Amino acid sequence: MPILLILMLVLGAVGLFLALPGGRADLSRLGLLVLAIGAALLVAGLTQQLAGEPGQALFAGCSLVALLAALRVVTHRKPVYSALYFVLLVVAVSILLVRMQAEFVFGALLIVYAGAILVTYLFVIMLAQQARPAPYDTRSREPLWGCLAGFVLLTQVAAYVYRRPASEQAAVLPRVGGDAILNVATPLLTHYVVGLEIVGVLLLAALVGAIAIARRPAATADEGED
Amino acid sequence: MQDPVVFRVERILRSPWLIFGAGAVLAGALALALWLLFPLYKGLLADPFWFPILVMAIMLNLILSSTAICILAERKIAGFTQDRFGPNRVGFWGLLQPLADGLKFLLKEDIIPTQVDKPLFLLAPAMALIISLSGFAVIPWAGEVRWPWAPDTLVSTQVASLDIGVLYVLAVASLGVYGVVLAGYASNNKYAFYGGVRAAAQMISYELPLGLGLLCLLLTSGSLRLEEVVRQQAQSGMWYVFLHPLPFLLILVSSFAEANRVPFDLAEAEQELVGGFHTEYSSMKFALFFLAEYAHMITGSAVLVALFCGGWAPLPFSSWLADSTAWWALLIKLGAYLAKVAVCIGLFMLVRWTIPRFRFDQLMRIAWLSLVPVGIALVAGTATLTVLGLQRTWWACLGLNLVALLGMLWTAARSGRTVTGRQDDLPDIHVEPA
Repeated sequence: MPILLILMLVLGAVGLFLALPGGRADLSRLGLLVLAIGAALLVAGLTQQLAGEPGQALFAGCSLVALLAALRVVTHRKPVYSALYFVLLVVAVSILLVRMQAEFVFGALLIVYAGAILVTYLFVIMLAQQARPAPYDTRSREPLWGCLAGFVLLTQVAAYVYRRPASEQAAVLPRVGGDAILNVATPLLTHYVVGLEIVGVLLLAALVGAIAIARRPAATADEGED
Repeated sequence: MQDPVVFRVERILRSPWLIFGAGAVLAGALALALWLLFPLYKGLLADPFWFPILVMAIMLNLILSSTAICILAERKIAGFTQDRFGPNRVGFWGLLQPLADGLKFLLKEDIIPTQVDKPLFLLAPAMALIISLSGFAVIPWAGEVRWPWAPDTLVSTQVASLDIGVLYVLAVASLGVYGVVLAGYASNNKYAFYGGVRAAAQMISYELPLGLGLLCLLLTSGSLRLEEVVRQQAQSGMWYVFLHPLPFLLILVSSFAEANRVPFDLAEAEQELVGGFHTEYSSMKFALFFLAEYAHMITGSAVLVALFCGGWAPLPFSSWLADSTAWWALLIKLGAYLAKVAVCIGLFMLVRWTIPRFRFDQLMRIAWLSLVPVGIALVAGTATLTVLGLQRTWWACLGLNLVALLGMLWTAARSGRTVTGRQDDLPDIHVEPA
């Protein structure tokens, strides 16, 4: 099994490297082929692992969709499509969160990422669209180092997950009773209240800084509409 | 010269007997089927798993078909507002007009322009409709019910009872912009593109007052579950609109903006942008956008009614039926809910034909310079009341709203800025005399 796992990760890393828009030779087809083999291995592994648990089909499906969407975010050459794949990724991950009873994080993720940040991204990307794709969209900056770093990180995570004792592996998520909101809000506003306040002040400072940077002198204000 | 066949067909179509007769036959057949099949679905009705699915199927169909009625109502209200008849040719009183509209949509040529971004062009209308329909999942249509043949199971007329009910509504509402933005982008048309960009900017801006208004309400109710908010209002008889008129207005205005309705329909603005984001769409794809707009309006109204107007509670200032779980109470509650939603939609439509469209800078100014500050002040005030334990006391809440209103008026009077009029940070226009 570990050989299969490592093979999967290597295939993923190599495939991603080949699929990233490098600007030299167009090897993205080959990369997608390698990635497809990796994905097939992953599906095979998942089916073997989760065969007895039909409830896990949602987990497997959403994870695969999320992986695919994440791949397309970095490999797609049109920035609008990348942003949309990011939306798909966020939606898939938020479904996984609902499955883990993290309903509040589900709502927050959808509202903050899919609803606010990515709409703003799309807005900016659409405003900055050109007739032909910009150079920074057609080639990724450091495909090799990026893939290597991701590969190392994933290897660590996989090794940890693989080496966990069986008792821990079998442990199901504890059913937390009570209101999902209260469960999140009560510790946040009692135990972690200082941290929360600090984050709030930090965000406020960032907001003020962003306005200070973005504010143009009044003389040139007639050039654009906001 | 009138063709006698056309004349005869038209006379038949316009006779009241046809439509009432057809309606009576259909309703009779449906009632008979329901009556005869009752033993079959009796068990499903009392099952806590299947009943919400039935509710979902019924409500989804109800909403999709009521969009047709909404379109007719919209045209009739337009006629009423503009002192004309509105559609009155097809069927009795023009009642078959939605059918004619639907047929027209189906039979028109479905054009996909050559230079569009095809996947996104096809995805956009579907996305608009799907997202505007998914908000219904958390609406508590008629509370809970105990069927006479299964006295020990309590089933809820809500599709999904989420802990984060209101947050779910917000999440779905915030996704609603993608359909419009994608349509604008994929059309490869500058008018459509401007429509999409406007929609994105508008949606981001108006989510803030929406969220602030909701915060006031949540501080008062102390629960994000829609059914809990409705139950509180039904039991006390004090609908939250009486406690929080200004947050209600905030959310009402924002839901006009979120549904892209006049006076906030800058995204389609036919005078400036030809048709805005749906310029390039034809046939059923255009119809999907149309449906999505009405579905969005119905969702918005349903959420507004649940949060502020007592949901299924039939009477204000009374707790009548608040704890009843009888089947006849279910019918009354459902009727009350749908009636309130209908009134709300009627308001949306009257506003559409009464108020002219804002200009874009006015729209932004309304959001950022008036709604957001008022919202922040209201949230701060409601939070103070909550700390003092006065958040459900009517005089404290109304006093807060009054103070906020007076503060608004005072600030507006003091600032001396015109509410409408030219954008004042642009240079003056000098027109050379001819």
